[in-house]
Amino acid sequence: MLKEIHTVPVTSTWLWYGIGSRNELPEKTGLSHWVEHMQFKGTHKFTGDDIDSLVARVGGYANAFTSPDWTTYFETMPSAHLHATLELEADRMINSLFDPEDVETERTVIISEREGSENYPEFRLDEAVQMHAFQQHPYRNEVLGSKEDLLGITRDDLYKHYRKHYQPSNAILCIAGDISPNSVLEEVENLFGGIPSSPLSKSIPTPEKSLNPGNQLELEGPGEAHYLEIAWRCPAARDPDFFAYTIIESLLSGPSSLNMFGSGDINNRTSRLYQALVEEDFAASVFGDLSANIDPGVYKIFATIRPDGDPWAALKIINEQIRQITAHELSQREIDRAIKQASALFAYGSDNITNQGFWMGYSSSFADYQWVAEYLTRLRSVSPSQVLRTAQNYLREDQRVVGIYRATKTQGDL
Amino acid sequence: MNTSMPDSKTILRETWKNGTTLLAYPNLTSPAVYFTGYMQPGAIADPEEMFGLASFTTDMLMTGTKQLNFQRLHDKIESIGASLSLGTGHLSTTFFGQCLREDLETVWNLLVEVIQEPAFAEKQFKRVRNQILTGIAIQNQDTAEMASQAFNRALYGSHPYAHPDIGYAQSVSIFKLDRLKLFHETHYGPDGLVIAVCGGIEPEMAQEIFSRSLGAWQYDAQSPPEELPPFIPPTASIRSHVALEEKNQSDLIIGVPAPKTVSRDFHVCSIGNSILGKYGMMGRIGKAVREKAGLAYEVSSHLGAGIGPTAWTISAGVNPENLEKTIALLRQELLRFTTEPVTQQELQDVKTQALGRLPLSLESNAGIASILVSIERFGYGLDHLRQLPAIIESITTEEILTTAQRYWDLDKLIITSAGKALT
Repeated sequence: MLKEIHTVPVTSTWLWYGIGSRNELPEKTGLSHWVEHMQFKGTHKFTGDDIDSLVARVGGYANAFTSPDWTTYFETMPSAHLHATLELEADRMINSLFDPEDVETERTVIISEREGSENYPEFRLDEAVQMHAFQQHPYRNEVLGSKEDLLGITRDDLYKHYRKHYQPSNAILCIAGDISPNSVLEEVENLFGGIPSSPLSKSIPTPEKSLNPGNQLELEGPGEAHYLEIAWRCPAARDPDFFAYTIIESLLSGPSSLNMFGSGDINNRTSRLYQALVEEDFAASVFGDLSANIDPGVYKIFATIRPDGDPWAALKIINEQIRQITAHELSQREIDRAIKQASALFAYGSDNITNQGFWMGYSSSFADYQWVAEYLTRLRSVSPSQVLRTAQNYLREDQRVVGIYRATKTQGDL
Repeated sequence: MNTSMPDSKTILRETWKNGTTLLAYPNLTSPAVYFTGYMQPGAIADPEEMFGLASFTTDMLMTGTKQLNFQRLHDKIESIGASLSLGTGHLSTTFFGQCLREDLETVWNLLVEVIQEPAFAEKQFKRVRNQILTGIAIQNQDTAEMASQAFNRALYGSHPYAHPDIGYAQSVSIFKLDRLKLFHETHYGPDGLVIAVCGGIEPEMAQEIFSRSLGAWQYDAQSPPEELPPFIPPTASIRSHVALEEKNQSDLIIGVPAPKTVSRDFHVCSIGNSILGKYGMMGRIGKAVREKAGLAYEVSSHLGAGIGPTAWTISAGVNPENLEKTIALLRQELLRFTTEPVTQQELQDVKTQALGRLPLSLESNAGIASILVSIERFGYGLDHLRQLPAIIESITTEEILTTAQRYWDLDKLIITSAGKALT
């Protein structure tokens, strides 16, 4: 997928693979993320040092991300150096070495990454809530993998995962920026055209449309603030209800941005939950997260409760707000406002070439390019009755997980 | 293609009679506009033992004006998909705004209103205080934040930069609303205010919009900026640790005072810093600590920039069992950095990186506006981006070594950490 943008001499290249934690099996959680790390360790042609310096040397920046549904690698570079990134991506699609020594050092690096996250009560609570939100589906697992699995995964596990899923038939290449499409297409064909593809075979989980009733959990640990997290099922990104859900999210907890690279957010201070929880001093902050996924996922609300506050009191307030949104149709004005916010967020992202490259592959990874191209049109077609019906279907008290992290007050000692 | 670079020919810069300066640069392909800037006061204006007063006052500004209560103010901003925020640094209050180009005047006028006519409502005062206290409580459990605060205490000693801008629970909990009002009346005004704007609007149009609501603002009662007290660096090595229960990772900072930001040394150290802990995947220390030893996911070095004293630091998040091992590895790398010149290849690589990064920093409105602010804050001059390549090219391996030796005195390292208690 190519998109010409000639505002600055920069290109952003994104290579997406249709593999993530969604396709991982029990005892092997974290494989996809670990493979992503190993892709920076080298091939016969590019050493690990070469990979690090290839982009950095010319002032570019590069990174990779693993999600439940996909893994992606990107490089944003001065456009004169596009060829080098394409050469690297084509080579490491098939020739990464997975040196056993590198596998071992990366094992401890990833455990360190996980331990860094575990320092935060929000991470511990979210991991527990996510696990309760799905019975079997791998969306229940943390993308980083469990510590037990990280200790048990072998070099063979990683290499097999890599060879099975890193191939042209499971990849989408997106380039945005200062390019000439015809010459880039020719270059891509030369570099990638000869890489063989085998029939795709990956674990496809059965979607879980509902949650177990009465899901409630409470954790306790050091800290000086309590946390409340609630998760409801949300439809898959392709489901028409997803767009109605987006309007609900905007109204309840504030609009989410589809921009990946700091192109601006909109505050949520007029959202219903901020008004009811923060303005009335039941919580110090609240925000929501609606994820666009291949399978039905979760919509989450997180609230931070001050040390002398009561998470259960905050939950009552949320319940009341949910009751209202499931009882009455929104006004068209409220829907128009959500659409205006979404339009502005798109405009903020559009001045950034890296975002433009990201959008193309991102939406193709769980739906197709039309999903992002028609995003605003689809939002505009949502009616008040569709929003009400979606809220009633999904935001049910018997179809959610409520998690509380209760802080046991401690004080740092000098 | 628009390959022009912001310089004296393309940046509109003017200073009004009231002391406000505007810098504007167009990016007419963008449907949006981004503006940012800074004004008095910063946290150094906090009176003795009233740490956090400037920050609390800033937080109150966005809670409503004399004409618009909280709900109406934020409804005006959010209903058009705009954003507006203010924050407090050591020396100044900063602001940011983003909106579609047709909404620029609306959003800018709202910012002017919150700065000039904040309501300081009692209900909001109590709510914001609770939010700040919760934020401080959360920070007190954050290993990275606690290691950083311990580092600042050790480096800055009696200098005001030793204290967090947000203040402490003890100070914030006793502030009275009247004290915040007085602080606002004393310090907020147009003198020293700097605005940088970039986006889909002609600079002349931006100039008209910004000056219409602010150009005539006169405020003779505004107090002059606080003078920064002298900074006396520590004379010996310092090691401190903040013990926090049940943390799986410890955060570590090793550092020394940095060169002045507006100096030749800063440019030299900046290139040296890229080699030490940034270039590629976190430079030399990334190779030693992450790639070879597998001790940390995050390890990097940072050269602080600012008016007044700053620090040159290395930070890492490691398993508590590996803390001392990591310190030893980092010491080894620092010894190498201060006794052997970097290689010609390393220098060439980071020079090319620094030069190549210039067009990428111009990729977004926010990136350009941030460069305009730096140009003004540090007095670089409007042709800074054009002059920078020659400065970078002139740096040599020998100069990096001799300059690094002057700053990284291994007998005077400040080492702080936070996490599981040390055994």
